[in-house]
Amino acid sequence: MLAISGLHSHYGQSHIIQGIDILAGPGEVIGIFGRNGVGKTTLLKTIAGWVRASQGAITLDGEALTGLTPERICHAGVGFVPEDRRIFPGLTVGENLSLGLLQVRGRSSQDEKRAIDGIYDRFHRLGERRNQLGTTLSGGEQQMLAMARVMVGKPRLVLIDEPSEGLAPMIVAEIFAIVRELRDQGAIILLVEQNVHEALSVADRFHVVERGQIVFSGDAESQPDRERLLQLIAV
Amino acid sequence: MTPVDYLQFVLAPQVVNGLALGIAVVLVALGLTIIFGMLDVINMSHGEFYAIGAYAALALGAAGVGFWFLLILVPVLMVPLGMVAERLLIRPVFDTKDRHVTTLLVTFGLGLIVEDVLKIIFGANTQRPPTPIPGATEILGIILPNYRIFLILVGVAIVLGVAYVVYKTRLGAMVRAAAFDRNMAASLGVPVSLVYAGTFAFGVSLAGLAGVLLAPIYSVFPTMGRDFILLAFTVVIVGGMGSIWGAVVAGLLLTQVQALASLIISPVWTDPIVFGTMVAFLVFRPQGLFGRLGHA
Ligand SMILES: Nc1ncnc2c1ncn2[C@@H]1O[C@H](COP(=O)(O)OP(=O)(O)OP(=O)(O)O)[C@@H](O)[C@H]1O
Ligand SMILES: [Mg+2]
Repeated sequence: MLAISGLHSHYGQSHIIQGIDILAGPGEVIGIFGRNGVGKTTLLKTIAGWVRASQGAITLDGEALTGLTPERICHAGVGFVPEDRRIFPGLTVGENLSLGLLQVRGRSSQDEKRAIDGIYDRFHRLGERRNQLGTTLSGGEQQMLAMARVMVGKPRLVLIDEPSEGLAPMIVAEIFAIVRELRDQGAIILLVEQNVHEALSVADRFHVVERGQIVFSGDAESQPDRERLLQLIAV
Repeated sequence: MTPVDYLQFVLAPQVVNGLALGIAVVLVALGLTIIFGMLDVINMSHGEFYAIGAYAALALGAAGVGFWFLLILVPVLMVPLGMVAERLLIRPVFDTKDRHVTTLLVTFGLGLIVEDVLKIIFGANTQRPPTPIPGATEILGIILPNYRIFLILVGVAIVLGVAYVVYKTRLGAMVRAAAFDRNMAASLGVPVSLVYAGTFAFGVSLAGLAGVLLAPIYSVFPTMGRDFILLAFTVVIVGGMGSIWGAVVAGLLLTQVQALASLIISPVWTDPIVFGTMVAFLVFRPQGLFGRLGHA
């Protein structure tokens, strides 16, 4: 269970997140929508601990995440797939992936190998390129790697920021298939996405953010909610 | 003197001595470049950590600890020293906007203090531990001091060992990841603060090890770090700040240039040539020969 209440955060003097509340349970995909610059990325960064929360509380299964370092937040079960994928340039595909194993402490090397092999089975292209530098991959493959890197951990909350950005439609479909797999493993997913139609196909519920606040919350299945959403984010 | 004689008795020994000096410089530069590549910190006290290693070897050696054991003991003792220095001096200013300047000044100050403390404890005189491996060996008609041969072999082993850890192990991947993108690394569970402290301590430990290894050749005195560190900085700049292979290549090349220039031109020309190379690199190729640790 993820519970965010009264969350605020700042960049210096600018007040970006201005009181956000979100509740979500295992296996739920929550879409976070909004126009450019409203604070969607900042919300995810605040949850991940990259930006300090100036007020409010974030708890995951009862454990308080607010004020923890990104590393502690990771160990608490949060996986982060940030915008731009953040693949480490000097690291091979395999090395990038192996860092994802650190989320779960004290794993046996057999268990680790199984997790990595599982990824290479699922993503053949990553397996074939495991000894290549991560940044030599195509954009879609890098996105897959960024998501696989989180999958080899055992995240109970996954934050995903604009995974479809700059990718061809066919690849976007693959990326959203991965989101579904993460959901089916029981993770809570916060999905920030400009591609609202794709996102609504996996999301259960969604929130619309404006100037750091949630101005509308809706059900992904509900036609009126969808229409309201499109009105709100129409440029 | 025939050309063969010249080759055998003048040129070859000079090249081998240059090689031993080159390995020595690489050992000192290695820690420096790793600390820079990882932490973005220019450790001005690196030369003094080198001196601490040498004095530790001297003092412990005088107390009866054998050289072989010192080779392990001193680097191990340097680790907590590096950890404490990182904790007290680097970490508090690490996140400030002008980290480069602040850490440079702080470590410079630390270096001055260490120099004086060494002077107070051990006196200003130059001391020289006995050569651990006496004698010389003739290879292809060239007579080489055994200890320099040993230094070259050990130096190569250390460089290869460090490169293996940095480039081929998961620990190394964590270090490289944290060097490039601290937030992302942390969000994957890399203990970034520990990695930083550990890297600093590792660099310091390497400087201490260099001190143990080089004391029998270059002697021990409180300011011994200064001359050496200048050359090591040059090597780090020419090789590419933060590049392990860059430090190796630049260290070996520059010391050969130095050795040959002093033989062929004149010893007074070695410094202008070496430091001129550094200036030329800073002006024309500031990124150095190789890329930075953790970067593609
Ligand atoms: N590092 C920063 N320092 C200062 N202000 C920032 C920083 N990053 C973002 N901002 C500002 O914070 C606000 C929210 O940015 P954020 O990136 O969270 O928006 P977003 O909703 O993700 O936008 P987009 O749809 O373009 O990704 C913007 O006004 C932006 O200019
Ligand atoms: Mg964004």
